[in-house]
Amino acid sequence: MDLENEKIGPAYQAPDSYFKESESRLMQRLGIDINAIVVESVSVKSEVAVIQSNERPPLDTIGVQKRARKQDPITSKSLGINKELDTLGNVVIAPLTFTTNENPEWVNFGAIPAEENASQTPMDQQIKKVSFGDLLSSSDTNNAISHDALPVIETPEGESTVEMPLEILEQELISVSDEIDPIVETHEETEITAEVLEEVAIESAIVDVLIDEVAEVTPVVFELDVKPADNVVVHEVPESIGLDELESYIIAPQNSSRSESVNPIKSESTLSKTEQTLEVEEKPMSLEAPQTAFAPIAGRQNETATPGWLGIAAALAAVVAAYFIWTAIQPPKLDTEQVVLQQEEATIPEAPLDETVPTDTIPDGLQLVEPLIMEEMPKYIEPNVYSIIDAAEMPERTKQALQDLEDHGIATFDMEDELFEELDLESL
Amino acid sequence: MSTESHNKQNLSRAQVLMNCSEEELSQSLLRDGVGPELFAEIVRRYQKQIYYHCRNLLVSHDDADDAVQNALIKIWQNAAQFKGESLLRTWVYRIATNESINLIRKRKPTIDFDEAQPEMAEMISEDLYLSGDDIALKLQKAMCFLPFKQKLVFTLRYFEHLSYADISLLTSTSEGALKASYHHAMKKLEIYLNVLR
Repeated sequence: MDLENEKIGPAYQAPDSYFKESESRLMQRLGIDINAIVVESVSVKSEVAVIQSNERPPLDTIGVQKRARKQDPITSKSLGINKELDTLGNVVIAPLTFTTNENPEWVNFGAIPAEENASQTPMDQQIKKVSFGDLLSSSDTNNAISHDALPVIETPEGESTVEMPLEILEQELISVSDEIDPIVETHEETEITAEVLEEVAIESAIVDVLIDEVAEVTPVVFELDVKPADNVVVHEVPESIGLDELESYIIAPQNSSRSESVNPIKSESTLSKTEQTLEVEEKPMSLEAPQTAFAPIAGRQNETATPGWLGIAAALAAVVAAYFIWTAIQPPKLDTEQVVLQQEEATIPEAPLDETVPTDTIPDGLQLVEPLIMEEMPKYIEPNVYSIIDAAEMPERTKQALQDLEDHGIATFDMEDELFEELDLESL
Repeated sequence: MSTESHNKQNLSRAQVLMNCSEEELSQSLLRDGVGPELFAEIVRRYQKQIYYHCRNLLVSHDDADDAVQNALIKIWQNAAQFKGESLLRTWVYRIATNESINLIRKRKPTIDFDEAQPEMAEMISEDLYLSGDDIALKLQKAMCFLPFKQKLVFTLRYFEHLSYADISLLTSTSEGALKASYHHAMKKLEIYLNVLR
C-alpha cells in the first residue's frame, strides 16, 4: 500500500453540534457574550436578503423555458421545455398497488371470506377438489366420489357381477338426472362440463391402457355426456408421483366405485342408493378453516427421502471435525511434571529481584506485527541521519555547510530541538 | 445612541474579520490586539482543525476536548505575545500541540516520547465520533506504534497538509530531520497496513 498515492481520510468526524456546544462552553468560561455578535450578524444578513429580493425580476414561466431543457431520446438533441405543449397527450398512470401476505408461499384458506365463496358461479360450485389423502382416509367421501366420479362408466364388462343390461342402466341414470335440481339444464353448462370431463379423461389415460373394455363402455360415456352432471370431481394428483402410485391412485377410487356401483345392483334398487349419494353430495360446503389452515400453494410438499439416521451421522461427524480442529489450533501443552518442576524452581530465586519487570502492554494480536514494524524493514535503506546536539551554538558557516549537505541529499541532520520543552510563547 | 453605534462598529468589525485572509487576521491581531470578535473568529476558523489534530495525537475524544479548550484559553490569555514571525495558524497549532503533550505528561508522567504508545490503539474503536472508515481506523491504530515525534510530523503533514517550513517552525526542527521522520513514519505505516490487510 502506498500512502502517498492512496490518500486515507480522517478516522474521526465530530458533528457541528459538538463544536457549537464546545464554543459556547468556551465563551462562557471566558465571559464573552457570543450571542450578541451572532444575533447582530444574523439580523444584518436578513436585511441584505430583503434588499436583494426586491431587486429580483419576476419569474417568467410562460412559453418555451430557455434554461429548462430536455433531451430527445431519438435525436439526442437538447430542446427547450414548453410546458403548454408537453402537457398535451400526457397519460397519467395511477400507481399500481397490490397487497400480499407476509409469506406469499402460504395462504390461509380459512381466512377467505364467505362472500367470495358465495359469489362463485354455479359451474364453480359444481367443481370439487379431492386430494389423494382424502380419498384414502374418508370412507364417506369415497362413497360420494364413487357415485360422482365418472370412472363409474369405466366399469369393465368382464365383471361377472354386472348383469344389468345397458338399457336399464340408462333409464336409471336418466331418472336420477331428472330428480336433480335444474342447475344443469342449460346447454352451455353441459358443454363446459363435457370439456371438463375430457380433461379428466386425459388425466386418466393410463387407465384406458390398463383396461381393455373401455371401448365397449363408450356408449355409456356418451349417454352421460348428454346428461347434466351435478358435481364434477377433479382429482388433485401430485406432479412428482410415480407410475405405480398413479395407478394405485386411480384404481383405488375405481375399486371402491366398482364395489359401490355393483352392489346396489344386487340390492333392492339402484335409485335408492343414488338418492343416498345425492343426499351426501348436497351437503353445504364448509367454510370453516380446515385442520391444516395454512396449506402450501405450490402443491403437495413431499417429505424428504433422507432418513433420520443420516442427519444424526452428519451431526456427529461435524462434532468430531470441530474437536480435531479445536485441538489442532491449541498451543502445545507442557508435561505436568515439567510444569511442577518449573514452579518449584521459580519459588526459590537465587537472588532477590531489585528491578521490577516491565509488563508488555502490547496486545496479543499486535505483538506479531510490532517486531516487523520496529525492526524488520524490508526493501528500506536507512538514510544518513546524524544527530547534532549543539545546533544552536554552531557558527553560521557550519550551519550553512550542513544545510548544503541536506539540500544535496548527502546526509540529514537531526538538530536538537525544543519540542518537548515548555512552550515559550515569545519564541515565535 | 452611543450603544447602537458601538454595536454597529462591532458588527462591522466582525464581518470584516470573517472575510479577511489569514495574514490580515494576523495583522489585525498584532495591531489591535485580541477582542471578542477577533477571538470568536479565531475559534470559528481553527477550532475544528486543532480538535482533529489533538484527536490524532491523543486518540481520546475527552482528552482532545480538554486540550482544545486549554489551547483556546491560552490563546485568549497570551494573544499579546504573538510576534507575527509565523502564520497565525502555525502559532495556534503549536499551542494545541503543546497542550496535547502536557496532557499526555499529566496522564503518564514517566512517558518516553521516543517510544511508541501501543496501548492507545485499544481505545480507538471504542471512542466517540468515528467516521466508520475501516482503513482510516487501521491507520490510526498503526500510528499508535510510531514514536510520538514521528506521529506528530506525520499528522501535521499528512492530515493537516502543513508545509515542511511551517512544521519546522512549529516543532523547532530542521526540514531535513522532518523529512527523515516523515519518511520513517510512512514506511512503518505502509508495512503495518500491508500486514493488516
